[in-house]
Amino acid sequence: MARIRKIEIANFRGIQRLAWCPAPGINCLIGPGDSGKSSVLDAIDLCLGARRNVQFSDADFFDLDITSPISITLTLGCLDDAMRTLESYGAFLRAFNATTGAVEDEPLVDAEVVLCLNLTVASDLEPSWTLVSERAAQQGIVKTLAWKDRVALAPTRIGAFANVNLGWQRGSVLNRVSEERADASAALVKAARDARSAFGDQAEQQLGEALGIVTDTAQELGVNIGAKAKALLDSHSVSFGGGTISLHNESGIPLRSLGVGSTRLLVAGLQRQAAGKASIVLSDELEYGLEPHRIARFLGSLGAKDDAAPLQVFLTTHSPVALRELSGDQLFVLRRSPQGHEAYPVGTDNGIQSTIRLYPEAFLAGSVVVCEGASEIGLLRGLDLFNLEQGGVSLAALGVALIDCGGGDPDRPYTRAVAFQILGYRVMVLRDDDKKPTPAIEQAFIESGGAIVAYRLGRALEDELFGSLTPEACKQLITYANELHGDLIIEHLRTASNNTLTFQQVWDEIHNTGALAAEHRATLGQAARIRKAGWFKSISWMEDVARTIVAPDLPHCDPGFRELIDQVFGWAANAPR
Amino acid sequence: MRPAEIDLRVISRGTVTAPAGCGKTQLIAHTLAGHQGSKPILVLTHTNAGVAALRGRLDRAGVPTSAYRLSTIDGWAIRLISSFPGRSAHNPEILQLAAPAHDYPAIRDAAWRLLQTEHISEVLKASYAHLIVDEYQDCSVPQHHIVYFLSLILPTCVLGDPMQAIFGFRGNTLVDWNQQVCTHFPVVGELATPWRWRNAGAEALGQWLLEARGRLVTGQSVDLRSGPPEHVTWIQAVPPNDHTQRLAAARAVPPTADGRVLIIADSRNRAAQQNFASQIPGASTVEAVDLRDLIAFANGFDEKSADALGQLLALAQSVMTNLGVPELTRHLGSLQRGTARNPPSVAESRALAFAQSPSLTGATELLLALRAQPNVRVHRPAILYGVLKALRDASPGTIPLAEAARRVREENRLLGRPLPKRAVGSTLLLKGLEAEVAVLVNTEGMSAQHLYVAMTRGSMKLVVCSPNPVVG
Repeated sequence: MARIRKIEIANFRGIQRLAWCPAPGINCLIGPGDSGKSSVLDAIDLCLGARRNVQFSDADFFDLDITSPISITLTLGCLDDAMRTLESYGAFLRAFNATTGAVEDEPLVDAEVVLCLNLTVASDLEPSWTLVSERAAQQGIVKTLAWKDRVALAPTRIGAFANVNLGWQRGSVLNRVSEERADASAALVKAARDARSAFGDQAEQQLGEALGIVTDTAQELGVNIGAKAKALLDSHSVSFGGGTISLHNESGIPLRSLGVGSTRLLVAGLQRQAAGKASIVLSDELEYGLEPHRIARFLGSLGAKDDAAPLQVFLTTHSPVALRELSGDQLFVLRRSPQGHEAYPVGTDNGIQSTIRLYPEAFLAGSVVVCEGASEIGLLRGLDLFNLEQGGVSLAALGVALIDCGGGDPDRPYTRAVAFQILGYRVMVLRDDDKKPTPAIEQAFIESGGAIVAYRLGRALEDELFGSLTPEACKQLITYANELHGDLIIEHLRTASNNTLTFQQVWDEIHNTGALAAEHRATLGQAARIRKAGWFKSISWMEDVARTIVAPDLPHCDPGFRELIDQVFGWAANAPR
Repeated sequence: MRPAEIDLRVISRGTVTAPAGCGKTQLIAHTLAGHQGSKPILVLTHTNAGVAALRGRLDRAGVPTSAYRLSTIDGWAIRLISSFPGRSAHNPEILQLAAPAHDYPAIRDAAWRLLQTEHISEVLKASYAHLIVDEYQDCSVPQHHIVYFLSLILPTCVLGDPMQAIFGFRGNTLVDWNQQVCTHFPVVGELATPWRWRNAGAEALGQWLLEARGRLVTGQSVDLRSGPPEHVTWIQAVPPNDHTQRLAAARAVPPTADGRVLIIADSRNRAAQQNFASQIPGASTVEAVDLRDLIAFANGFDEKSADALGQLLALAQSVMTNLGVPELTRHLGSLQRGTARNPPSVAESRALAFAQSPSLTGATELLLALRAQPNVRVHRPAILYGVLKALRDASPGTIPLAEAARRVREENRLLGRPLPKRAVGSTLLLKGLEAEVAVLVNTEGMSAQHLYVAMTRGSMKLVVCSPNPVVG
C-alpha cells in the first residue's frame, strides 16, 4: 500500500527541476502541451519500475546537457512493515513532514517513516538506483531496494498497450490479483500433443479465483466478455514461456483482441482489485480510447470517487470530460516557472470546483479571460467567430478560454481570476463599469500580472454598443432586438426615456442626419439593459449580435471602443509560447 | 521438542526466573519455533559466545532463522545508534571501540537515550514482534535502561536468575534484581525442572542443586555432605598439604569416556589458574575473551630489539610446561661463546638463527620447535596459537603485529572458544559452559552466586575441595 509522498526531478527531459508532493489518491496532471506531464509519469515509472535495464539516451537530459546528471528521487511512505525495519533499511529510513513537505534524514516522532529512492543517470547513460541517506553516505554505505521490494512497489502502467496485463507474464497485474499460479509445465507438454482444448480446462481450474475476479470486474464495468472469462492456452504462443497462459472470453477469443478502451478499462478494474499488493498506477492521456461515459468509469474504478483512496494514481489528461469527473484536489497544474517546474494543486477553494464543472476547458488552456457575465462571453465568442470566418486564428487555437462569472458582486470576477492566477494561468478580466470593484482587489490582481479590460465611464456593454457603433449598426441592433422581443422593446424605450423618445424618432434622426445624438445613444443603451429584460442578455443572442453586427462595424465605430476590443484580442494573441 | 512450561510470546512485560540447567535455552528455542508472524522476535543476550551458543541451539532445534534476530545487547545498540546517528547525537568515534572501557558505556547511554526520544519507535514496531532478553541478571544498569525503554515499545520478556549474577565489578554495576528488574518486569514464572541433570541421568543431583539454590537465595549455607553421594564428593583441604589435595581433586575422572571436566579456581587469581593447568595432566586454561596476554605480547614484542629472544622464551614458558627454559638459556649462552660441548638441539638452532637474523617468521619457527620438544605440553593453547596466528599474519609486513593480534582476538570473540576436555578457569570464564564433571578447587571467598554458578557446571558429578564441608 505504498504511496509516493514527494517527487523530485532534476534535468530529466523537459524538466530542469521539479519538487512536488502529490496527493495519496488521484493525481491528474494538467497544463499546456509540452509542460512535462508525461515526463513526470515516465520519471516515476523509471525510478520505481521493476526493470533491471533501462536504456537512456542523450535526449533524456534536460537541454541535451549530459554534464548535469538526471536525478529522480521518490519519497515513499505508507510502507509495509517489512520495508521499514531496522535490519532491512535501518540506515536509510527517513522522516517525512506532511505539513511542510520536508524530508528529514532520520525518523522523527510523529512524522511518517519513509524511504527515498533515487535514480541517477550520468553522462555514461548507466542508470543507478540507490536509497538516499546522508548518514549512510557519510559511513560509505550504499544500498538500493531489494528486488522483491521493487517488484512489490512497481507501478502498473495502463498505457496505450495494456495487453501485457491480459496474460500471466511477468509484470502483469494478473499476478497481483491473486497468489494463484498456473503450474503449466506438465500440462504444456501434454497440451503440445493434445492441442489447446485439453489444456483449457486445467488452466481454468487453476486460475478460478482470478477468472472470477476478471469476470466480475468486466461485468461491473460493462466490458462484454460473455458469461465468464476463460483461461486457455494461447494459440499464438509458439514458445511455452511466461505468457503462455492468457485471458480469453467465453468463446475462446483472446481478450487482447478487445478494443483499446475495453482493455484499458478492464486493466484499471483489475488494478483496483490488486490494490492491496500494488498500489501505484500510471496512465498517460487517460482518455485514450475511451468514450466519455467510459472515462467516468475508468476514473471511478481507479477510486476517483472513493473517500479513502484505494490506489495512488498518476494521470495526465487533455479531456474536459475527465476534468469534470474529478475534484479540484485531484487536479494539479504543471507549469514551467523561472525556478523550474511547479505543480500547483487546483484545490477546492474559491468556488473553483464549480468552475471545473462548468468550464473544464479553461483548465486545459494557457490563458483565461474571466468575463463578468454571459454578455461578455457572447461578445467575445461572436467576435471570435467573425474573425475565424475572415481567416483569422481563433481564441481556442490561441489557447484562450473564456469563463463566465454570472454577474453579481463586482468583486466576483477577481475571486475567480485570482484562483487561476495562483495556478499560473495568464488571466484577463473583462468587466463592465456600471458597478465598480474594490480598487485594492483590482490593484492586487494587476500587480500579480493580471490584465483588465473595462468598459468606459460607468458603462455596461449595451451602453458601449449603442454609444460606440455607427448609427447604421445601432439600427441593426434595434432591428435584431425587435425580432427577438417584438413590441416589448417599445415599452423598454418608453420607460428608459420617460416617454421622450420613440423608435420612429431614432429612425428619422439616422435617416435624416446620418448620425445619432449622444443622449439618444445613452437612452437606447439603458433601454437595452433593463433588469431581467436585457435585449441581448444571453450568450447566444450576444454572440449573434457580435458576429453579425459588432464585428463588421468595428473598423468604422468609435475608436475608443475598438481600442477595448483590440486590447482583448491583442492580449489573447500575445501569449508566450 | 517437549512442550514448553511457559509460552514466552504471551508475556507482554515480565520476567521468567530461570535457575541453571532448567531448560531456559530450550524454552527460547521452543518459543521461537512456534512463532509464525511475519515479523521476527528480537532475542538479545550478553556475549558473542552466548549468541553463538544460542544460535547453535536454535539451528539444531530447526528454528527458521526468519523467526528471530539474535544479537548481543551491545551489538544491537551499536547497530541502532549507527543507523540513526543524528537522532542519537553520539560522538562517532565511540563506534571505533578504540577505548572499549569508555566507548561501550557511551554506546549504551546513547542507545537508551535514543530509545527514550521515541523517534524510532515506529521503526522498531515494524521490525520486531516481541523482545526476549536472555541472561538478564548480567545486565548492567545502562543495559537495563535500553531494555526498559524497548519494553515501552515492544512486548518484552526477560529471562534470568539473580543467583547467577556474577559479573558485577567495579565500573559495571549490575541491575538490581528486586529493585529494578522485578518492579518493571514482574515475575510471571519460574522454571523448576532440572533438565540438564535429568538428561544426564543424574536428576538427584539436579534436585539437590535446586534445593541448594533455595538455601543460598535466603543467605543460608549448604552442607556438601547432604548431597547424593554418588554425585557429590567433598575432599577436605588441610594445610599445608592442601595444594596437593586440590590437585588430586582436579584429577577427577569423568564417568563417561568422552566426558569433560571443568576445574574452577580462584576468579581473582589468574596465575593460580595457570599454575593449576600446568600441573594437572591434560589440563589447559580457558582464557578471557580479551586475550590480554596475547595483546600484551604483541604490543611489546619487537623482533629487532636486543631483548626479543628473551621475550619469546618468556612467552613460551608462560604457555607451555616442561620447556626447561633456564637450562636452554644457559646452553644457548655457551653455544654463542663457542664453549658448548653438546651440539644445539633443533629448538636451540632456531633460537640461534633468530638471534642472528631476527624475523617474525623466525619467531614462529622457534615457538614451533619449542613445542615439538619431547614432554612439552601446551597448557594455554588459546594464547600460544593466537600468538602463532598473529605472527603468521604479520610476517609479510602488511600489518603490524599488534594489529594482527587484535584481529585474532576479534575473530576469536566471534567464533567462540572450543572447550578443552579438562579445562581450568573461573566462574567468570566458565559461566554458560557445562561439562560432565565440575571440580571446585577453591571455595574460599566465593559469594553465594559464584558458588551456585560453579556448582551447577557439572551435569553428572560435583567435586569440591574445601577446608569445611559447609559452604556459602
